[in-house]
Amino acid sequence: MHVSRSFRLLAAGLLSVSLIGLSACGAGSRTGAETATKVACDFVNPAEPTTINVLAYNSSAVDPYSNTMVSSCTHDNVTVKHDPIDFGGQVQKTTATLAGDTGSYDVIETYSFVVPDLASREKLVPLDDLFAKYKDAYQLDDIDESLRKAMSYDGKLYGLPMQTQVLTMVYRKDLFEKNGLQPPTTFDELREASKKLQDSGDMKYPLALPWLASGDISTAYKAALNSLGKDFVDATTKTPNFTSEESVQAFEELKSLLPFMDPQVTTFDQPKVQQQLYNGSAAIGIMFSGRMNDLVQQKNTKLYDKFAFAAPPAVEDGGKQYGALSVDGWSIPFNTKIDHDLLFQLLAASVSEDASKASIPAAYPARKGLDQTASPYAAAAKAAIDGAPPAEAQPWVPPITAANTEIIAQVITGKQSVEDGTKAMQAAAETVLSEQ
Amino acid sequence: MKRREFWLLVTPSVIVMFGFMLVPLYRTLRWSFQKVDYGSPGAEVGLTNYIGALTDPRLGRAVLFTVGLTVVVTAFCLVFGYILATLINQLGRMRPIVLGILLISYVLPHVVGAVAFSWLFDSNFGGIVNFLANQLTGGAFGEPLWFTDPWPNRVIVAANVVWFMLPFAMLMILAGLQGVSAETLEAAEIDGASSLQRHLHVIIPSIRGVLGFVLLIFTMDVIRIFDSLIPLSPQAVGLGNESIMLYIYNVAFREGAVNLGLGSAISVLTIVLILILLYPSIRGIVKEARA
Amino acid sequence: MTIDLTQVGDAAPRGPIAAASALTDSDGPTRPHRSRRRTVAVISALVLTATCLLMIFPFLWAALSAAKPTDVAFANPPVFSFAPTLQPYVDLWQTTNFYLYLANTLTVAVISTLVALVIGLPCAYALSRYGGVASIVLLVLALVFRALPRFAVVLPMYEISKSIGIYDTTYALAAALIAINQPFTIWLLRNFFAEIPRELDEAAMVDGCTRFGVLRKIMIPLMGPGILTAGIFVFLFAFQEYLTAAVLTDVSAKTVPVFIATQIGQNLPLLQQASAATVLLTLPVIGIAFVAQKYLVAGLNSGAVKG
Repeated sequence: MHVSRSFRLLAAGLLSVSLIGLSACGAGSRTGAETATKVACDFVNPAEPTTINVLAYNSSAVDPYSNTMVSSCTHDNVTVKHDPIDFGGQVQKTTATLAGDTGSYDVIETYSFVVPDLASREKLVPLDDLFAKYKDAYQLDDIDESLRKAMSYDGKLYGLPMQTQVLTMVYRKDLFEKNGLQPPTTFDELREASKKLQDSGDMKYPLALPWLASGDISTAYKAALNSLGKDFVDATTKTPNFTSEESVQAFEELKSLLPFMDPQVTTFDQPKVQQQLYNGSAAIGIMFSGRMNDLVQQKNTKLYDKFAFAAPPAVEDGGKQYGALSVDGWSIPFNTKIDHDLLFQLLAASVSEDASKASIPAAYPARKGLDQTASPYAAAAKAAIDGAPPAEAQPWVPPITAANTEIIAQVITGKQSVEDGTKAMQAAAETVLSEQ
Repeated sequence: MKRREFWLLVTPSVIVMFGFMLVPLYRTLRWSFQKVDYGSPGAEVGLTNYIGALTDPRLGRAVLFTVGLTVVVTAFCLVFGYILATLINQLGRMRPIVLGILLISYVLPHVVGAVAFSWLFDSNFGGIVNFLANQLTGGAFGEPLWFTDPWPNRVIVAANVVWFMLPFAMLMILAGLQGVSAETLEAAEIDGASSLQRHLHVIIPSIRGVLGFVLLIFTMDVIRIFDSLIPLSPQAVGLGNESIMLYIYNVAFREGAVNLGLGSAISVLTIVLILILLYPSIRGIVKEARA
Repeated sequence: MTIDLTQVGDAAPRGPIAAASALTDSDGPTRPHRSRRRTVAVISALVLTATCLLMIFPFLWAALSAAKPTDVAFANPPVFSFAPTLQPYVDLWQTTNFYLYLANTLTVAVISTLVALVIGLPCAYALSRYGGVASIVLLVLALVFRALPRFAVVLPMYEISKSIGIYDTTYALAAALIAINQPFTIWLLRNFFAEIPRELDEAAMVDGCTRFGVLRKIMIPLMGPGILTAGIFVFLFAFQEYLTAAVLTDVSAKTVPVFIATQIGQNLPLLQQASAATVLLTLPVIGIAFVAQKYLVAGLNSGAVKG
């Protein structure tokens, strides 16, 4: 009897705790107050209380935009909700929310890599009419036209650009100075510099690249292939290029960097490369520009004042950079039940001039004419944008990437020969193309 | 008990169990013969998915890895759980504290525990294990490739599973030890049995039921290991450290490779495997009930 | 269960086993090895201490990483002296909907525990008292359900819950967990009931009780430890469930384990918040573990695991 009474007490206690928790739910949405900017978000107040769910991964470059959207547009009957999620989570949730007639999210973060694929499958709402309607109210014309084009498919705009993300190189200026090194501009120089740093005894594995076997490694291969002047697929003949000379060379070049990197580099996503640099385990890193500002924050690392930035090297002398140019922006999923007009004003407010200004230096905004002199890496990012190979904006790129990621990892870790791997990739890509 | 009473009493539970298990199971079975995407009806493809699953060497590797892990972890936890339970059974005032501490890893959600576990081995997050081991051995421990070398990776996966499953084995065996009769033990002692003999011939046989129960639960739970591998084996596929559940997840849920039909076929094959493994237990239940 | 495990016992390392049993020896006068026994006591204390340290270490290390200033939280080599901070907890509370995830987790766990017991008790009672074929079939089916690969039921549940519009709700998740944990619940409770002599039922029924009366007035009061044990297990299963929650929830019904899992690939400050979330999620269950361990052992001993 005694025991069952204590059980009842326990249950009652837990129930009341959870009820207290629930009653607090009406408190509204929360946001990283530090990076939120208050901007005008003057939509017509909807008649009913409306909750708008935003799907956007966290990084110091994207947070200012999501947080501004949440804090500026949560008023009257509208509540904007954004839960923290990592990049892998965003990728998976995007697929899930776009799968059926109903989805969980009303605004999703997209990037130029996925827009053609999603748009060609009619998963996103075309924004042209809304763009024209609100062009003047939010000075949307100031958003770089080439970036708007990157977020378009078949002549229609599917994502409102917020910022550019470009592969940028970061290096330890103290160690470069000490060893008399210049930022490398080719893979030859990259190997040379890494070798020198290794030999000087300062660092066992001076180079850190995001080469996560289940994800980022495909970006690395793509950057190398593009740097050598080839796309995944020849757009005119629609034949994949994986068995080409350049593809083989791309693999050889990537593999040649392995001796300078941590043996577990195939488990590194971008946050782990940041850790490598924070902890002084690596001296050179190449990541998307949105991850760069973290490195110079005193609260993140004791080495915050030792980093400098440059455009990434080219794989071959005279070629394009080992680069990738990506545009991040906001899209409206086709299956949202909320008025598109209302949603678009949220997007526009989030990328408004004040908001974009406030995102510097964490981000490299899509708006033209903003003063970026305060950003420690903006010059490097600009050089990287200018020297980056043109992005292959085709709907088949994401499915081919998904089909080939595992094979790329196998080739780079030496579990499969370059010859077998490239053949397998070619076959997988042909299957994808035949299904398109 | 009358038949009518029996059915009245079991109906709510049976409705819930069957409604929520058999209906989804039927779906899975249907899907396993279809090519299907989320949110759209599938197209019948006959046995294609099964042929695809059975001819993919990945399935064989996944089964081998999962069964191997189950055997190693179960054997270790039975033996060490028994030792721990025996030791704890002797404790006096310290017993609640020791038990409470040991139960922490059991009550932590596995995926959360596995993340914490991965930080111990990841040099990007401090790598405390390598650090301490090298302090103790003067650097002889080196830097094992915990996440990219198949065997070290298997070691940390197995260690993690032991970490969160051992308390359960210990708890069950400890409960069983309470029921071992003192008279029998005394009698054995008077007969001059050594302590080892007493364990082997008196205690273990009398808690055989408990050990069988632990074995059964371990077989069921370690076979479906999934959560732990996500943080601990980011390269599971390449290393051959992919469990059956992770394989299903990778083909049926991960972006880019969403193949629900194939995933369902693997699920059905896994059910067959589990039924084979459970056969002795099921026979035991039926036999016992008939007796 | 009729599985003989003597073989496993044979393979056990001899030292500690012998050590442990030496402790059980009564202080009889015929035992000359006092010093040996002391050594054995020391060894067993060492084994227990080491095990406790190893078992709690991963949790402590995660807690520590939330207490460090951000710039040294994951430093390599690890830093041991630092000015402790509570900032990650403050951030977690102020910048995320953590309280909502926690409320969801508790709601799901409480609802699924209560309902599982309410429907599980009569079922388990009936299974312990009815000897017909149906009883055996049900028990075997329950065992098979318990062993099912989770995806075989969870992925269809995802589809079904989306099509009938209950996706991403706490009650849909609770319902799924009740069903998934029902086999364990009825097996455990049935074994408790089996320990209570049938004569008691019969005597009560002679006195005019109905079956339900027997269950409500006689059995359930006697089942205190059993109900508590089963309740604790079902609560813990629901509280720590990740896979089912990850598939069946998205925004509104997200639970803490799912939240933490979506933070694995985050960068530095957010990882510290994930550590803080781990600590906050775990502290209440550690409390439960400390309170419950006494009842668990007593409850399980009273028959539940006799198999």
